[in-house]
Amino acid sequence: MIKLYGSNRSRALRNLWCLKELGVDYERDDRDHVSGEIKTDAYLAINPSGKVPSMTDHTGGGDVEMFECLAINLYLAMTYGKGTLWPDGAVSQADCLQWSMFSATEVEPHTVGALMERIFKPESMRDEAAALKHLEQLPRAFTVLEGVLGKQSYLCGKAFTIADLNVACVAASLHMVQFDFLAFPKVSAWLGACSGRPANQDVVAGNA
Amino acid sequence: MTIKIYGSLVSRATRNLWMLEELGVDYERIDLDWIKQENRSPDYLKINPAGQVPTLIDGDVTLSESLGINLYLAQKFGGGVLWPDDDAGQARCIQWSVWAAGELEPAVYPRVYEFVFKKAKDRDDALIVKLAERTLPLLDLMEGALSASAYLVGDAFSVADLNVAGVMEYLDRSDFDIAQWPKTVAWYETTYGRAANQKVQGERAPVAEAMLKRIVEHSRSEG
Repeated sequence: MIKLYGSNRSRALRNLWCLKELGVDYERDDRDHVSGEIKTDAYLAINPSGKVPSMTDHTGGGDVEMFECLAINLYLAMTYGKGTLWPDGAVSQADCLQWSMFSATEVEPHTVGALMERIFKPESMRDEAAALKHLEQLPRAFTVLEGVLGKQSYLCGKAFTIADLNVACVAASLHMVQFDFLAFPKVSAWLGACSGRPANQDVVAGNA
Repeated sequence: MTIKIYGSLVSRATRNLWMLEELGVDYERIDLDWIKQENRSPDYLKINPAGQVPTLIDGDVTLSESLGINLYLAQKFGGGVLWPDDDAGQARCIQWSVWAAGELEPAVYPRVYEFVFKKAKDRDDALIVKLAERTLPLLDLMEGALSASAYLVGDAFSVADLNVAGVMEYLDRSDFDIAQWPKTVAWYETTYGRAANQKVQGERAPVAEAMLKRIVEHSRSEG
């Protein structure tokens, strides 16, 4: 059985979306930074950094324990999504690795940076100049996405894959900081299509 | 068809060159000189629209993101060696690679900027302190993992070690002292010291020195 640690108000949301897309059974452990149960010895044995999400998968006698949300999604797709979230063919599979890394390096640091400075930090500690600096970094990444999505519906071609999920789950939070997608109409439409998928809607609504 | 890596010896392409040397796969390196803006040529932008290096071309596969390229290469050519056979090991390889890209790199790369490219008097001390605060728990995490096993994924060298050490070199190059994490020190020396990497680093050293001189001249000519 797969066990996912983290609530839908944490980055575990991304993994819940993936699990729901795959339709696999899993057990959910809602601990997070608010519940404060992420610094216990038992949990630190699974994720020594004391963060969520993390995942264990003992299906079929396996012994998988891991953290890093985008990595968990790659693992889940490779293991349970062959032919769907993990597409067939070397080119598409390589693209899934590339876009997941792209999400981690080009999108997430600036998305998180902007969110910290505008939402998560106490008001007195927020630095709007720093927020803007992060937001200014994003058009480079979105220009790349816009080019790809001008040629095809999804990042690996015609079908939704883990590449789309791993980039969209990070980019979607930019709506919280009023990022202007006007210059990126293809990205905006694609993000709407990805976020609007029933699996994600269920997770966001807390039904997964 | 021979694998092509676009980049240079003074770029993130060295991570991929290290991997290719480990795997013993034939490849061709195509140097792009960013001072001459060769990474902005129309031909290159076709394969990498952001004009970033490295890019790998292997037949039909065109890939960017250095650590993603390494995962691809390990899976394709390093089965049972750099890419472990078991699910648990593979999961950890992906985990550490994403961690290196998303957690470690943003904490350590800006340090190189401050220490290698700037003069001492121009350094942003507040940023250096902030980066160090971010780096400490990451090194604690590594020390914990390396106390449980010799390498990040069990007792054998894998793509996880290569990808993390390939990013940790930024700490090395910016004189960040990691002595208080002894397991990490020993692991880094063994890992970074591997013959495949030393071959790449040996070729890199004179090129990097010449490049640094050109950067200084270039920034002077830009005023």
